[in-house]
Amino acid sequence: VTNAAANFQDQPFRLASGGLIDRSRPLRATFDGREIAGFAGDTLASALLAGGTRLVGRSFKYHRPRGILAAGSEEPNALVELRTGARREPNSKATTVELYDGLEAASQNRWPSLRFDLLAVNSWLAPFLTAGFYYKTFMWPASFWERVYEPLIRRAAGLGRAAELPDPDRYEHANAFCDVLVIGAGPSGLAAALAAGRSGARVIVCDEDFLFGGRLLAESREINDTPGHLWAAGVVEELATLPDVRLMPRTTVFGVYDGGTYGALERVNDHVAVPPAHQPRQRLWRIVARRTVLAAGATERSIVFGGNDRPGVMLASAMRAYANRFAVAPGSTVAIFTNNDAGWHTAADLARSGIVVAAIVDSRRDLSPMAKDRACQARVIAGGEVVETKGKTLRAIAVRSASGSETIAVDALGLAGGWNPNVHLTCHLGGRPQWHADIAAYLPGSLPNGMAVVGAANGTMTLTRGVAEGVEAGRRLAEDLGFPPKPVDAPRADDETWAIAPLWHVAGSRQKAFVDLQNDVTVDDIALSEREGFRSVEHLKRYTTLGMATDQGRIANVNGLAIMAGLTGRSIPDTGTTRFRPPYTPVAIGALAGHHRGKHFRPVRLPPSHAWAQEQRAVFVETGPWLRAQYYPRDGERDWLDTVNREVRTVRSAVGFCDVSTLGKIEVHGPDAAAFLDRLYVNTFSTLPVGRVRYGIMLREDGFVLDDGTVARLAEHRFFMTTTTANAGRVFQHMQFCHQALWPELDVQFASATDQWAQFSVAGPRARDTLATIIDAPFDVGNAAFPYMAAAELTVCAGIAARLYRISFSGELAYEIGVPARYGDALARVLMDIGAPYGMAPYGTEALAVMRIEKGHVAGNEIDGRTTASDLGLGRMMSTKKDYIGRVMAGRPALLDPGRQTLVGLRPVNVHQRLRAGAHLIPLVGAPLAANDQGVVTSVAFSPSLDQWIGLGLLAHAARLAGRRVRAADPLRNGTVDVEVCPPCFIDPQGERLRD
Amino acid sequence: VISLASAPRSGLEHLAVPGRYGAADGEAGVTLTLRTDLALAAVTARKDRHDALARRVDDTFGLALPRTPRRTTAGPIAFAWAGPGHWLASGEGIQGEVFETQLRRELADVASVTDQSDGRIVVRVSGPRARDALSKGVLVDLHPRAFQPGDTAVTSVAHIAVHFWQADPAPTYEFAAFRSSGTAFWEWLIASTAEFGVVVR
Repeated sequence: VTNAAANFQDQPFRLASGGLIDRSRPLRATFDGREIAGFAGDTLASALLAGGTRLVGRSFKYHRPRGILAAGSEEPNALVELRTGARREPNSKATTVELYDGLEAASQNRWPSLRFDLLAVNSWLAPFLTAGFYYKTFMWPASFWERVYEPLIRRAAGLGRAAELPDPDRYEHANAFCDVLVIGAGPSGLAAALAAGRSGARVIVCDEDFLFGGRLLAESREINDTPGHLWAAGVVEELATLPDVRLMPRTTVFGVYDGGTYGALERVNDHVAVPPAHQPRQRLWRIVARRTVLAAGATERSIVFGGNDRPGVMLASAMRAYANRFAVAPGSTVAIFTNNDAGWHTAADLARSGIVVAAIVDSRRDLSPMAKDRACQARVIAGGEVVETKGKTLRAIAVRSASGSETIAVDALGLAGGWNPNVHLTCHLGGRPQWHADIAAYLPGSLPNGMAVVGAANGTMTLTRGVAEGVEAGRRLAEDLGFPPKPVDAPRADDETWAIAPLWHVAGSRQKAFVDLQNDVTVDDIALSEREGFRSVEHLKRYTTLGMATDQGRIANVNGLAIMAGLTGRSIPDTGTTRFRPPYTPVAIGALAGHHRGKHFRPVRLPPSHAWAQEQRAVFVETGPWLRAQYYPRDGERDWLDTVNREVRTVRSAVGFCDVSTLGKIEVHGPDAAAFLDRLYVNTFSTLPVGRVRYGIMLREDGFVLDDGTVARLAEHRFFMTTTTANAGRVFQHMQFCHQALWPELDVQFASATDQWAQFSVAGPRARDTLATIIDAPFDVGNAAFPYMAAAELTVCAGIAARLYRISFSGELAYEIGVPARYGDALARVLMDIGAPYGMAPYGTEALAVMRIEKGHVAGNEIDGRTTASDLGLGRMMSTKKDYIGRVMAGRPALLDPGRQTLVGLRPVNVHQRLRAGAHLIPLVGAPLAANDQGVVTSVAFSPSLDQWIGLGLLAHAARLAGRRVRAADPLRNGTVDVEVCPPCFIDPQGERLRD
Repeated sequence: VISLASAPRSGLEHLAVPGRYGAADGEAGVTLTLRTDLALAAVTARKDRHDALARRVDDTFGLALPRTPRRTTAGPIAFAWAGPGHWLASGEGIQGEVFETQLRRELADVASVTDQSDGRIVVRVSGPRARDALSKGVLVDLHPRAFQPGDTAVTSVAHIAVHFWQADPAPTYEFAAFRSSGTAFWEWLIASTAEFGVVVR
């Protein structure tokens, strides 16, 4: 009790009773290090107001003092940094931040302090900071662009500071499906949910607030003779008992996508300091809905006049929310400036709460009788306008009316400029809002499929009609889907009056009149935009930044374009409106990433020997989705090159092995398998005998090389092909397309076997000796019985099924051995064991690459989508006796041009010089200019076998330049070297080792 | 003779260690079981032999070959639809090569068969919160009105290709993922089930 009492003392603006706060649960938080008090059920904004804090932040451009304007997610001003350290989060709207014990918040965009901000000097510089100033100001000298202007602008721009530390919290994605999605749990949304839910439909109800009820929480309305918020609580209670209804508070539906897909952000644990263990902070939902009820309500508009941004100036609807829901007086003495009946309802609610309403300034001369009834004790100034304001925080307003001008002392001013229905989600798939002059608002135009709009979002501005609309929509949509309707009594409410006479802007003050408070866009900026020709609303938006940033101009847009309409003499509908795009409110990048951050950025694929390679302290490299062993360092080796050189020498002199399981592996079966492969590859496979392997090249339709690999014929109608690691998926897709779309007549079946087989390359002069140890009798692995390019199914290690292919990428005597993947790890260990007497060592992708360059085998660097088989020296493989994919297009003149760059070997003339991939090949005489470009160095390696750097490249007129020198120009890395053009094979050009 | 068989590993043993993970209070919301007793094989109908294959499967296994995304079972054998003309066949307690050999023999001339027993990991996911956990990655509606025991889908979970089916109304689901993606899939599973408490059997 003492605590609660103490707490109450810190809240001079807290009303003695009422509100949907829990006075038995006092909370403590800090703002700019100062303690503030509140209760469970408060937002940070309501607690700040209860404590009398008016000044909450500084504005974006002019650093003007700003307060709290709204009570919801439309807030443009009261943006704060929340939490500290790694959890620091900028631009949180104080109006949507739930208060919790220990919450730490800080004001933004001020230095050195909120009360005294040096950059407020920008106000004096305003003549230079008008709309589009950055397009005009930072033009010259050009040398300043990167070094001076950009750092300067970057420092001054933006609001708040990001944490700059890794986010310690988890975020996740989730998917939900429903028959009817209800967006917004205000009166019409709840009515729709109830009607649909009772009929048995699967219903999801989302609301951005932590309490369901929408405006019923903020207004003193009754439904069925009960206070509106209690009616809402009753509906929520019933919905919670329905098994197929999911209630999602703290969840903003932020985007509409094709096929009834909605994006929603659930703030699972934003209302606590630290999420409970194993729980995410936020969850990004993908909701697939067959039907949708949009009951997003409406947002009250401002009225633009001089000094309308002063702390203490608030939306009238927000004042109502603070008084009714949070039991907070928006000020000691309040005035209302309105152009419609809603301002009067606010005044009545405030007066009922015991708040002094000094004046109601209504721009209309003729006031409806009902509005007059509600006038409470306040002075009414009909046909009046607030012209400007006084005070750092509001002290007085200057009012002009037929009876003259006067100053009225108030510390809070409520603005009721009419309502903007929240049509945003109706626009995301291209719908264009339509202007309705009768309510002076844009209403939904064409709707996304399956969507109905109800209540204030639909321009239905009174309660009974809004609720009835909700019931009807919920019932109808569920019935559409085959759910028989169940009775829902139409709720009875006391309908308020509703009438408006638009007023957008009051001229006549020398004070700045702000249209968009978040972006500091003034009436003058819009006028300037008009003068400079940016009159279309889309230009207006980009030129002035009107309606950008976190609030997306929800309060400002319509005022802005009405002012533009006035300046250009057009009507509002002729002026048009910008369309809204996702997201409705900001979505944190962390939520979009979900599980996929750090090492989970994308799923990693691990080859079968991964665990073993980790034990060997291998260094890993990402190759596409795979994590592969790059090299296996040993003690005493100075760097990676030392290691790789040792691995290459081991293979060239003894024996090594490498996990090549990442190669794409495809089983091709069926009577037409050979015919299929003949059409797929440039060379012929129907002639391949059973028990043999052949290297193959396949082209794209356009005649360029798609991929290369090997094909083994295991049986008459059974082939086993490999693709490169990078192209495995693409080649499989290509094959499916070819079969399904081009040649469905072929009786061929294929299946990916990439993951089924652990496959190791065992290479080196002692490869056969090594493997002979584990190959089960009676298989003869001798050179005569199992020669180069032989293939067999056999068993190893006493009965384990295996496949052996005598193929070589390294240029040495080599085999690839495959075993079912479960044995891959064990096979790695076995190979180490049985190879030990011969000097066995594992080698990684780096040594693999060195040896293929030494041998002149092409890889991804050369098969880059721009090279033909002839370019790569493989033209003779292209069969002339059959058709195959890419054959015709490969015959295009440009692809047969003798001037095309073709594959060559390159070695620096000075054997001590390093060659770099990417260097361009130019003549020895001639500048390093594009005009002299003759080719490019595609792959380089230090060859331990030659004891120098070598490379492969693509060079024009290669035949003529054979044996001659060209220059590998690399001015970027200062690595220009002269090289000799040689055949693209540095080791064993006759291939004797392969066949040994 | 050096034995390979002495050291088989699924690649997930070091992760799928039996025990309780995530939230420690109350009944575990999810139970995970790595299924190592299944032989798997890709079965593809030969050209124009779809009906013949269905008859052969019926004759051999007493099993109705599904023509829609369903998985039908008869004793230890099951056929899960994997696309038009494609199935993932499974056999409980059978060795991969034996299963492949048996299928090739029984389905000769009507289907092509490729052993996938080592190409996939299969994880059984069950428990009262299984659906909530799976909804964090599964893009398919798992509500009983939409997905029932015997239903199957080929889809992706957290960018990982999976083929899954519902085994019983408990609910119990089984997910087959490529072996090389097993670790990534398992890590996603543990992350997504943690808040409900998860038991690895």
